[in-house]
Amino acid sequence: MPHFTLQFGAEGPVVTAMIGPSGPRLLALVAAKRPVPTMVQIRALIDTGATCTCVDPSVLKQIGSTPTGKALVHTPTTAGVPQQVDQHDISLAIPGATPSTPPLAVPTLAVTEHVLAVQGIQALIGRDVLSACLLTYNGSMNLVTLCY
Amino acid sequence: MALEKELETFKAKLPELNGQEGKFALVHGDQLVDVFGTYEDAIKEGYKLFQLDPFLVKQIQATEQVQFITRLLVAPQ
Repeated sequence: MPHFTLQFGAEGPVVTAMIGPSGPRLLALVAAKRPVPTMVQIRALIDTGATCTCVDPSVLKQIGSTPTGKALVHTPTTAGVPQQVDQHDISLAIPGATPSTPPLAVPTLAVTEHVLAVQGIQALIGRDVLSACLLTYNGSMNLVTLCY
Repeated sequence: MALEKELETFKAKLPELNGQEGKFALVHGDQLVDVFGTYEDAIKEGYKLFQLDPFLVKQIQATEQVQFITRLLVAPQ
C-alpha cells in the first residue's frame, strides 16, 4: 500500500498537494480550445474535523474553476444555521514519499470553496478523501502516516 | 450566486426523484437532464453536454446532508 510519513510542527499535518481542473473539465477546456491551467502547488492541512475537502478561492481562480454544485455547510461562524456554498470539481494529487511511489490521486473530486489563505494554508483535506486512506497520527512524535 | 436557477430546479424536481436516493442529478437551467450512479459520471456527462456552460450536479437525498468544517474562521460568502 503506498504511503508517506510526515513530520509536522505547531501548524499540524500540512502536506504539499497539487490541484488542477478535474479530468472531465480538462477535456472540455481542450475541446473549447481554451487555455489549460497548470496544476497549482498548495499547502493543505489534513483535517479530520472537515467532512469534505475545502479549497481557498484564490486557488480555484488560478485553475479557472467555476462552480458545478452547491453544498450546505456548518462552520463555527454560521451560528448553528447551515449556509449554502459553492462546490467545484477539481483534481487533487498528493505526491508519494519517493518519486517512484504513486501519488494519492483523485481525478474528480467535489470540493467546497472557503477562505483559508489567512491561516497560511490553501486547502483542508477532509474525511471524503481520508475515507479511502489509513491515517495514523502519532502525537508524541509529531508524525502522521497516510496509507492510500 | 451561481447556479441559483439550477438549484431551484433541483429542489422542484426532488419529489420526482423518490427512490433514487444516493445517486447524482445533473441539472441545466430548468431541465433535470438525468440521474447517475456516481458523481464522476454526472460531471463527465455535464461537460460532455454543456461544455463550459453552467450546470449543477447534486446528490439526491431526502434530507440534505450538511457538511461540517470546524476549522473555518471566516464566514462562508
